[in-house]
Amino acid sequence: MGVSKTKQPLRKRGGKARSEERRFAFLFVMPALLLVVVFRIVPLIWGFVLSLTDARGVTEGAFIGFDNYAELARDPAFHDSMANTILLIATLPIWIMVPMLLAILIHQGVPGGKFYRAVYFFPATLSSVIVGSIFNVLLRNDGQLNQFLELFGIGAIDWLGNSNTALLSLIAVQLWATFGMSLLIFLAGLSTVPSDMIEAAKLEGASMLQTFWHVIIPTLRPIIEFVAVVTTIGVLTNMFGLIYVLTAGGPGTSTTLPEFLIWIELGRMNRPGYAAAISMVLFVLMAGIAYAQVRIMSRNVNV
Amino acid sequence: MTIKTTLLTASALGATLTGAAVAQEITVWDWKSGDPAAYGYIDEATRLFEEAHPGVEVNFVMQPNDQYYTLLGTALSSNAGPDVFLLNGGAQAQARFDALADVSDMAEGLLGTEEFSDADGTVYALPITTQGFVVYANKQRYADAGLDPEALPTTWDELSAACEAIIAQGDVPCFSMGNKEGFAAEFFVSALAASMLTAEEHAALKSGELAWSSPKMTAILDAWVETEAAGWYPQGGNSTAKFMDEYETFMRGEAANTIGLLSDVAHWKQFDDFLGAENLGVFRHPAPDASATAGDGGPMMPVAGGIGYGVNRASENIDLARELVATLASAEAIAIFAQDAGILPANPEVDTSAANSPTLTAILGMMDGASAPMAHANVSAGELEDLHRQSQLLLNGENTVQDAVQRLDAAQAAAE
Repeated sequence: MGVSKTKQPLRKRGGKARSEERRFAFLFVMPALLLVVVFRIVPLIWGFVLSLTDARGVTEGAFIGFDNYAELARDPAFHDSMANTILLIATLPIWIMVPMLLAILIHQGVPGGKFYRAVYFFPATLSSVIVGSIFNVLLRNDGQLNQFLELFGIGAIDWLGNSNTALLSLIAVQLWATFGMSLLIFLAGLSTVPSDMIEAAKLEGASMLQTFWHVIIPTLRPIIEFVAVVTTIGVLTNMFGLIYVLTAGGPGTSTTLPEFLIWIELGRMNRPGYAAAISMVLFVLMAGIAYAQVRIMSRNVNV
Repeated sequence: MTIKTTLLTASALGATLTGAAVAQEITVWDWKSGDPAAYGYIDEATRLFEEAHPGVEVNFVMQPNDQYYTLLGTALSSNAGPDVFLLNGGAQAQARFDALADVSDMAEGLLGTEEFSDADGTVYALPITTQGFVVYANKQRYADAGLDPEALPTTWDELSAACEAIIAQGDVPCFSMGNKEGFAAEFFVSALAASMLTAEEHAALKSGELAWSSPKMTAILDAWVETEAAGWYPQGGNSTAKFMDEYETFMRGEAANTIGLLSDVAHWKQFDDFLGAENLGVFRHPAPDASATAGDGGPMMPVAGGIGYGVNRASENIDLARELVATLASAEAIAIFAQDAGILPANPEVDTSAANSPTLTAILGMMDGASAPMAHANVSAGELEDLHRQSQLLLNGENTVQDAVQRLDAAQAAAE
């Protein structure tokens, strides 16, 4: 009893101290929290409310419930943009394999590795508009690529003006422009692969391919997953500049991705309500991928 | 004490005047004021207005052309829009009538006000230029193909024959082509619709009653496909920008013809400078199965109000903004623009005789009784967007005209 009497006030003091500590901590967190609420949460809610209206630029727009979302279900341009998105996501293995293989080669100490590392990273420092302008000159119908192909008797291909090649051309250009960043992440990850494990594999007589498959890849798994998630989000939200400069979303809708469609609906069609509905769909898609990212990261923490 | 009182009085007066000047600043948004060819016009309009309104300042803010309507829409919807803003006639202006004040009382005598008016005839912006499409021809290319460069085509058959001869010559395509954004199709549709649609049909297209699947609209898209199949255009049209890659091709002499503008850019003054006035020809675009003909029996040409300034309905200085718009559309200011940039003014009081260009003389001579509505500017933004997309697919042979008109009909129905 006596013990409990002495412990109780102690608990109270401890609880009070913790509570004060919490309040103090909250004060520190407050500015960041406020920024997130004002610049992230409020616009998001505002965007969702806007997506429930028929706003047309200057007019506030009447509440129309989920009509914009119902229209999305019927809109062939939106369907095409989603189909393009799926095609884009389907190329994800290439986005991961190319920088990973090059990073492994550099890590293995190929001659001029540092030079290649700098060269591969260089395009990542260019803005998408500059990259677009460069490739516009290269890929246009009378561009250098077709002139080069002509040397081998191959006729001109309208890389950016044909539905069969336009999106793939865009993907290739975006890959060229951004894989340097993924390569650096892989290089950082490779530096964490214990060299004694590789040594041990070699001593056990493992071939290079076996070492690669059974030692390096499993160790790199968290990095691969991280690059996969970051790359997916990147290509779905950062290709506007390239599309704008290289194809303007065409021919037809063959290179129209949701972010470009949002811009068309907002800027050219003057339909902010409908554009907001597309934004919400894109947000849900992104949120799903971000959720996957959180799960992957936390799982790897446990590993 | 006297000095202190004087200083305080001066400070108070200064603050009042500064405050008044800030309160009386009129902001104008456009995509023109940064163009060197427009400097003289902007300066003159500003001078005229500020002299008539001491203490009021005009602040021109040039926005990037390709993002203009996005930025404008955002500013207007957040009630942060300018007092006065520049607009394209037709669909772009129509989409913003809600934000514009009535300027009908100042529009008398101006040409092309229809593009800035609603169905009741209320005018929401004062046009400053007359815009339209004509075909510019490189006379040397005609001569090279064994054609008479002084007898440019006046009928569809003559144009077809001329193109056949030019293509047979093998040096250049008949027309330069830039359809990356779908603009070449806009120009083609309007150029043919000018002669193929009657005035009633133009009105019906504007009101959404003339479907794209109607025989005449279908025939226009058929002509788009057939001219491509006949080899009128260079390869790669869908990856070539109309502004300015298509026109640069024409100016380099690498195409015999191009559908160009009357004012601002890609027009007679620019082509005169590059090809030489004596080497530049101009004619109205013929059309198959024309329903309307000009006073001289030739084809019609699409003409519209071009660009115009409107007053923001929410402006706190609406009276001053209205007076500024009147100044911007006045003959005195526009005369400078006409001289510097080679625009065709919407104000008929402006004297254009100083331009001294045979091409301009030819254009002015062919305009009488030949003006038809600009079809693409009168359809909804949704139809226009789908026209861009479908025209690219048609050019590639990835779609049929039948499918294209169905999509355009759907866009037309959605706009109602």
